[in-house]
Amino acid sequence: MSKPRPVSKAARLRAERLYWRAGFGALPGEVEALARRGVPAVVKDLLHPRGPALRKGPAPTVEGQPIDPFNVWGHDVLWWLDRAVRGRHPLVERMTLNWHDHFATSNEKVGQAKLMLDQYQTIRKHALGSFRNLAQAILNDHAMQMFLDLSNSDKDDPNENFARELFELFTLGVNNGYTEQDIREAARALTGFTFDWDTKTFGYDASKHDGGVKRIFGKSGRYTPRDVVNLAIAHPKHAPYLCRKLWGYFTPRPCPPGTLKRMVAAYRTSKTQLRPVLQIILTHPALYADLEDPDQVKPPLVYVAGMLRKTNQFVNVPDWTWLLDDMGQRPFYPPNVSGWEQDLSWLTTASVRARYSAASRVVESMDIKDGSIQKKETPAQALSAALRRTGKPWMGRQTRASLTRFARTSVADKTEEWQVEHYWPERQRVLCHMLLAGPDAQVC
Amino acid sequence: MNRQCGCDDWHLSRRNMLGRVAENVIALPEQALVEGPAAAAESLRGRGLTRRKALVGAGGLALACAAMPRFGARGVLEAAAAEAAADPNARILVSIYLDGGNDGLNTLVPITDPKYRELRTRVGLDPATTLPVSGHPEFGWHPSLTGLKQLYDAGKVAVLPAVDYANPDQSHFNSQIFWRTGVVGPTNDRTGWLGRTIDAIGGTDNPLQAVSMGWGLDPILLSRTAPVATLFDPSGFGFYIPGVWSDGAALTPYRGALSGGRSGARRAAQRSFRGAISVFDQLAGIRAEGDRPPPPPVAYPDEHLGNGLRNLARILGAGFGTRIATISHGGFDTHSSQLTDHADLLKTLSDALVAWQADLDARGLSDRVLTVVWSEFGRRVEDNDSSGTDHGAGGVVMLVGNHANGGIQSEFPGLTNLDEDGNLLVTTEFRNLYATILESWMGVEAGRILPGVDGRRLALVK
Repeated sequence: MSKPRPVSKAARLRAERLYWRAGFGALPGEVEALARRGVPAVVKDLLHPRGPALRKGPAPTVEGQPIDPFNVWGHDVLWWLDRAVRGRHPLVERMTLNWHDHFATSNEKVGQAKLMLDQYQTIRKHALGSFRNLAQAILNDHAMQMFLDLSNSDKDDPNENFARELFELFTLGVNNGYTEQDIREAARALTGFTFDWDTKTFGYDASKHDGGVKRIFGKSGRYTPRDVVNLAIAHPKHAPYLCRKLWGYFTPRPCPPGTLKRMVAAYRTSKTQLRPVLQIILTHPALYADLEDPDQVKPPLVYVAGMLRKTNQFVNVPDWTWLLDDMGQRPFYPPNVSGWEQDLSWLTTASVRARYSAASRVVESMDIKDGSIQKKETPAQALSAALRRTGKPWMGRQTRASLTRFARTSVADKTEEWQVEHYWPERQRVLCHMLLAGPDAQVC
Repeated sequence: MNRQCGCDDWHLSRRNMLGRVAENVIALPEQALVEGPAAAAESLRGRGLTRRKALVGAGGLALACAAMPRFGARGVLEAAAAEAAADPNARILVSIYLDGGNDGLNTLVPITDPKYRELRTRVGLDPATTLPVSGHPEFGWHPSLTGLKQLYDAGKVAVLPAVDYANPDQSHFNSQIFWRTGVVGPTNDRTGWLGRTIDAIGGTDNPLQAVSMGWGLDPILLSRTAPVATLFDPSGFGFYIPGVWSDGAALTPYRGALSGGRSGARRAAQRSFRGAISVFDQLAGIRAEGDRPPPPPVAYPDEHLGNGLRNLARILGAGFGTRIATISHGGFDTHSSQLTDHADLLKTLSDALVAWQADLDARGLSDRVLTVVWSEFGRRVEDNDSSGTDHGAGGVVMLVGNHANGGIQSEFPGLTNLDEDGNLLVTTEFRNLYATILESWMGVEAGRILPGVDGRRLALVK
C-alpha cells in the first residue's frame, strides 16, 4: 500500500475550524482523517451522523460517584458537559446547545432537573430536523410551559409571556412584523395548558382554552395553540430571521445577502428543514476565512469540552459547574429568555481568569510528575511535547514566539539535580497551560 | 405559577440586563467614535440595532480597538499604572444597589401620615419604635438604622424620598434596565450610565478605574470602550497553576502574547488578558497584605455588602485611580414576612455604611468619595396578605459622604394622593438625580451621558 499523501496545513486548519464551530473541537486522533476527507464530505457526515451517540468507554465518575443530574447540585451541568465531551455526533450536540440558547429556559424558575433534561432530549431529537416540529415540541415542552407561564394561562386571564417571546425571540425577531394586538390575540389562542401543583402533572383543559375567534397577523380563526406556532412559522419574516440567527451561531461575519436568500429558499422549499440551511452555512467560505486569525470566541462550554477532548480527559471533578458559571455559561441556567450574549461578550477580566483557572484543572489532571522529565530535553522538545499533550492547537506568531522564549529561559539557570526534578516538569506544565488557555486558545 | 415571591419576571425576563457582559469591548458603528457616546446611543436606537447586531455589523473590524494605543503588551501594562497614578485627588462615586425594590416607606417612615397606619396594618412600624429624624418630626428612621441616623445627624446623608420616573413600570426588569441605562423606555443601547461615564472620564488602559465588586460585571458599568474590572476579593485575584512555584512563571509566557491579533475575537481575548493581568499586577501590594489586612476602625458586617465595601476601601486606599465602583445588596423583594427580613437588610446596610465612612476617614479618603444608595422602585403603599409588600413606585435614594448635602432634599408627596396603582407619586426623576451627580460631583456634562435629560438639578452636593 502506498503512503497517503500528506494533508496541507490549510486543510487541517479547515477541519479544526469546522469542528470547533460545529462541535466541541476535533479529537486529536481524527484531525488528519477529517482534513483528508475535505469540508463537503465532513459536513455531510455531521449532518447525517451514524452509530452510537457517545464514544466507547465507561461513563465518567466524579469523586468516585456517577454523575447524578437529578439529585446532586451542579451535576446537571456536569451531565451536559459530559455529553459534549463524549459525544460522537458533534453537530447534534452543538445544535442542541444553540437551541437551548434560542429557546432559553432556566431551571432557576423551572426548579426540576427532570423537566430540564426532558427538554434537552426534546431539543436534541429535533436539532437537525424540521424547525416546525421543533417549535411545536417546544410548545408542548413542560419546562418551557412552566418557564414562560404557558401552563395555567386560561381564557379569563391569558398570560402573554410565551406569546411575546414566541414572536420576539423564537420565530420573528423584535418588532419584526407583529403588533401588541397580535400578541394579545395569540395569548388568547395559547390558553388551555394546565399544571397541577399538588400532583405535579401537566395537561390541557379545553374548558380553559379560549375557543373564540382570534385575529392574528391579519387573519381570523378559532386558533388553537398549535395554530399560533404555525402562523408564526408561515409569517414572511420568519425564514430570514431564523436563517440569519443560525448563521450567527457559526460565524460573527455578516451574512452576505445572496447567502441569506439561498438559505431562505432552502428553508422554505424543504418546509422548514434545518439540514439544508446548516449545509449552506457550514460549507460557506466565510466560515473558513482567515484561518490564521480566528474570529470567533469559544463559548465557555465549547472551550471546556474542547480542552477535555483535546487532552483525552473526561469530566472528573465537580468544579466545572462553578468554573462554567464564572465563565458566564451554566447550561440549564441561561441568564434570561434571550439566552446568552455571545461572541465578544464572553470576555471580561473575571471570565478570562475563570478560563485560566479551568486550564489549571486540566493541567493538574495531566499529572506531569516531578522527576518525570530529563535534563537533556531541549526547549524545542519541550514545546513539541506540550503541543502533543494539548492536541496540537492552533497558535499565532506571538504565542509561538513567547512560548519558545519561555521554553528556553525558564530553565536556563536551573541546573542542580533537585531543580531539574521540579522545574523541567514545571516548564512543561506552564507550556501546556498557555496552549490550552492563552488568548489564541480562546478563539476558533 | 408564581414561586416564592410572586415576581414572574424575577431573574428571568429578557429585559434583564445581563449579569455578565463584555467589560471593555463593544464595537460600534463608526459614527460612535466620531460623534461621541450620546450620539451613538441615538444612532443605535434609530437604526433598531441590537448590540449583537452592532457587533456583527462591525464585522470583526472591532472599531473599539482603534482607541487602543499602539504599544506592546508591557507598555500597556505600564500605561495602566501610569493612568492609575494620575490625579490622586479625583472624586470617586460608589453605587450601592438595593436589589429587589427597597421599601422606602419603611426606611424613612412617614409616621405622622394617618394613611400610613391605615394602609399598613401588617407591616406598618410603630412610630414609637422609629428613630427621630432631626428637623423632621413627620418622619422616623426604621429602628435598624441607628448608624445611618448618626451619619444623618452629622449632616452626611442627603435623602430623597420619592425618586422614580414618570408612569413607573412595576416590573423589576423594566425598572432595572431604566435605572441602569439611564434611559426610560425602549432602547437597544445596553451600556450603563456609569459605563458611559467612565468612557467620558476614564482612560484606555486601567481597568481598575471602574470596579464592579462581584463576579459578573454590573450592567450599570457596561461601557463602550473604557476597560473596567470585575472582582470581589482583591487578595484572591490570582493566577495559579498547580505545581508551578516560580515567582511569576504562571503568567510569564502570557505576558509575551497579549498583542498582535487582527480579528475582533483575538484582539478581545488579548485585551481581556491584558486587563486581567494589569489588575493582577496592580493588586500586588494588596496581595502582600494577605488575607488579614489591618482591621478597619469599625468592623464591617460579615456579609456580602460589608465584605465588598471593606475590599473596596482597600482598593481605593491603594490608589489605583478608581473613579467609580458598584456593589449590590440583595434581598429587598419583600413580598412576604417583610418585618424581620427588611429589618435585617437595613441593619446590614446601616452598619456597613458606618464602617465604610469610618474606614474612608481613616484612609484620608472621605472627602473624595460620594456613595449613592438606590433601588429599582419603592413598594406598594398598602401591604399584602402575606405580611409583605408588592412592587410599587417612588423609592428612597440616599447620598452619603462628607460632601453629601445632608437633609431631606426632595418633596415627599404624602400617602393621601396615590397613583392609579396605589403607589407613591413620583416627585423626583432619577435622571435628574443622575444629572446632578454627574455635574456637581463627577464634573461631567450630564447631556453627554444622559441623552435628552432636562435641566432640573437638585442640591445634593455641598
